[in-house]
Amino acid sequence: MTAPLAIAAQAGIVGGTDARAIIIGLLTGIAFGAILQRTGASSYHMIVNMLRLKDLTIMKLLFLGIAVGSVGMYVVNAVDTAHIGIAPVYLLGIAVGGLVFGVGWALAGYCPGTALVAMSEGKADAAITVLGGLAGAATLAVSWDYLKPVLVDPLNYGGKSLYDALGVNPLLVALVLAAALIAFVIYLDRIDSRPGRQAGKRLDPTARPEL
Amino acid sequence: MNGHLEDSSRQQQRWMSWVYGGILLGLLNTFAVATYGALGVSRNYAVVDGWLSGLLGLDFASTNSYMSGIPSAIDWLFMVNVGMVIGGFLATVIKGKLNVRSVPRLWVSRFGDSKPKRFAAAFAGGFLLLFGARLAGGCTSGLVLSGIAQLALAGFVFAVAIMASGIVTARLLYRRQSS
Repeated sequence: MTAPLAIAAQAGIVGGTDARAIIIGLLTGIAFGAILQRTGASSYHMIVNMLRLKDLTIMKLLFLGIAVGSVGMYVVNAVDTAHIGIAPVYLLGIAVGGLVFGVGWALAGYCPGTALVAMSEGKADAAITVLGGLAGAATLAVSWDYLKPVLVDPLNYGGKSLYDALGVNPLLVALVLAAALIAFVIYLDRIDSRPGRQAGKRLDPTARPEL
Repeated sequence: MNGHLEDSSRQQQRWMSWVYGGILLGLLNTFAVATYGALGVSRNYAVVDGWLSGLLGLDFASTNSYMSGIPSAIDWLFMVNVGMVIGGFLATVIKGKLNVRSVPRLWVSRFGDSKPKRFAAAFAGGFLLLFGARLAGGCTSGLVLSGIAQLALAGFVFAVAIMASGIVTARLLYRRQSS
């Protein structure tokens, strides 16, 4: 609060540094962490079994969250101001980064956010994943000058959205995407409902909860 | 033998349904963008790295070109991550008890109960997660949950890449194991 102008001018600030932004951010995060914990999204077991295609619960959760969120955001955007910021698309860096991320996802059994939540539940391996994450982000920062000209600058189309590419109304695109995602989620749920699958269940319901 | 304990352990075995969870996640996703911005996590690992380098006297923030775009002030997005740690903790203790453990049971069934082995994989996994996320410009939160909801093409590319490599890696790690 001592130098608000200097802070506001700092690069990369998201959502502001004033007291209201701090409090709303904290409350938003508490809700986010509680939802992830209660749905099992911070469980190694649930994430790895999603990637093994044995239990698609987390995929259904994520896709439904995207579908509802997309329509919600573009309804807000249509009637009021939504703080939408389209991430830049650079095909090489995002594809390579995503492939590296996927290996880490399967090895750790957490993603960067669910590792924070799992750590807060008392899971020591998730705390180690967070430490590994700090090292990985620092390594990317020191390699940035070498990687950027090769993976980020070429094939970089800036902040392009699906509705820019299609040239149609964003809310219409959001509604169509949501319908497609919900249809896909229903299909995934039919797979999960086949006999012999253990979707949404813990590894051994009689044992102590320690996933 | 103890009714209260049995009840709390039975509750711990049940997750919230993905239907309710998904709708709540979508509403929160909307609330975030309606108030301040898109949900995200991976940037804050770089924020903490900047602080740690300051503590070590390296002054990463002014000497490194990548870190010059990373803020050092606590902003809305940083508080979202602080809240996630508090929210996860509260949800755990309200619904049951803390789950203090080092090695997940599914990992034990495939790789044994060695702590160093699991910690090495957890560290390497975290390293790759954040190296990849920072290279791509976001993670499962920023590029997938909120990125695809915002209809960013970057989110679709990232989602395909992480699912493809995550599925292949998990199936390789757990090959020859049916359960």
